[in-house]
Amino acid sequence: MKVNKKEKFITAIDEHKKIIYKIVNSYCPNREERKDLEQEIIIQLWNSFDNYKDKYKYSTWMYRIALNVAISFYRKEKKWSVKNDFYNEASIFSIEDEDGEDETELDYHMKLLQEFVNNLNELNKALMLLYLEEKSHEEIAEILGITKSNVATKISRVKLKLKKEFQKI
Amino acid sequence: MEASELKKILEAYDNKLDKKLSLNVSSLKNINLGKSKQKTQTILIYRVIEIVCFGLLSLYLGQYIANNWSHTHLAISGIIVHVFTLIALVGSIGQVVLLQRIDFSKPIVDIRKKIELVNIHGLLFIKLIFLSAPIWWSYAIVAIDLFLNIDLYVHLDPDFVVRYLIINSLLIIPLVWFLNKLNYKNLHINWVKKTIGLFVGTKTMKALEFLNDIEEFES
Repeated sequence: MKVNKKEKFITAIDEHKKIIYKIVNSYCPNREERKDLEQEIIIQLWNSFDNYKDKYKYSTWMYRIALNVAISFYRKEKKWSVKNDFYNEASIFSIEDEDGEDETELDYHMKLLQEFVNNLNELNKALMLLYLEEKSHEEIAEILGITKSNVATKISRVKLKLKKEFQKI
Repeated sequence: MEASELKKILEAYDNKLDKKLSLNVSSLKNINLGKSKQKTQTILIYRVIEIVCFGLLSLYLGQYIANNWSHTHLAISGIIVHVFTLIALVGSIGQVVLLQRIDFSKPIVDIRKKIELVNIHGLLFIKLIFLSAPIWWSYAIVAIDLFLNIDLYVHLDPDFVVRYLIINSLLIIPLVWFLNKLNYKNLHINWVKKTIGLFVGTKTMKALEFLNDIEEFES
């Protein structure tokens, strides 16, 4: 039974690995600390796994847990230096080595985008990540615990800021 | 940047992750999944110890008041100290309730608030110390009576007692105003920030600042 649960859990993590990977990279720019944050998120997800209710989408539930853990971790570990490497190797999640690959214009823009996200405060960072994931305003409101109209207002503010940021280049 | 450009960048990034990101199942299996909630458990243990201490103190003070009911000054002093002990006890019980309600699968703003309210617990004690300033003689009277069996009140000059009562009654209103100001909502006021910073640690200060950020985020 327990083995079955663990297998189900691993499958769920595998299906949603991009969520954890992106959150970890956004809240923990220091690659040496990433393993710890990944582990904390996985442990918290495992602890809450039995309590998941299909009232919400699995991704909503996962975003809530991963973001809550990441914000706690971020607030605990402010000593990090801010670096902006989006494609780093992590322990639980690994990304194929890209040495030798030429950086495309899209890669460059992605790095700038990540830099922009990194400079936001903890809560706006969560909002921005969800917006970039193209979540609906309703789902963002559910994950963050604010109203839909507030989500819309905040997103338009962040978009404006983002536009200004990219106009500089 | 236009929405279409942003979409293009994100799609490219997602495609890249789809191709190159993989889960190290063996690393995942090696994580000690049983290692859980250690930090929360430690805080919970501290708060439970506080509840036991304040609970025992409340019982003891209740008995002290009953035993000294005929000595008005001792009974009143005991009641004052008892009230402050009960406030501290209620504060600690509230903390345990908050800790029990921290569930990371709940909405982020709600959970962050609960966590930061746990982190600013130290401020309650600072406020209680300030609040008890006008009646600090009650502490001295009860403590000296309990530990040294000396009734300090009978050795006090009656004029001093009257002056003390008048001055400290006048202090109550400014003190209540002052304590109301010591709130995360007033951190933009320089003296409030400095006063809080003087009495609480960095962790509490950061938690207060974050509560302020949460409030702004919600509005």
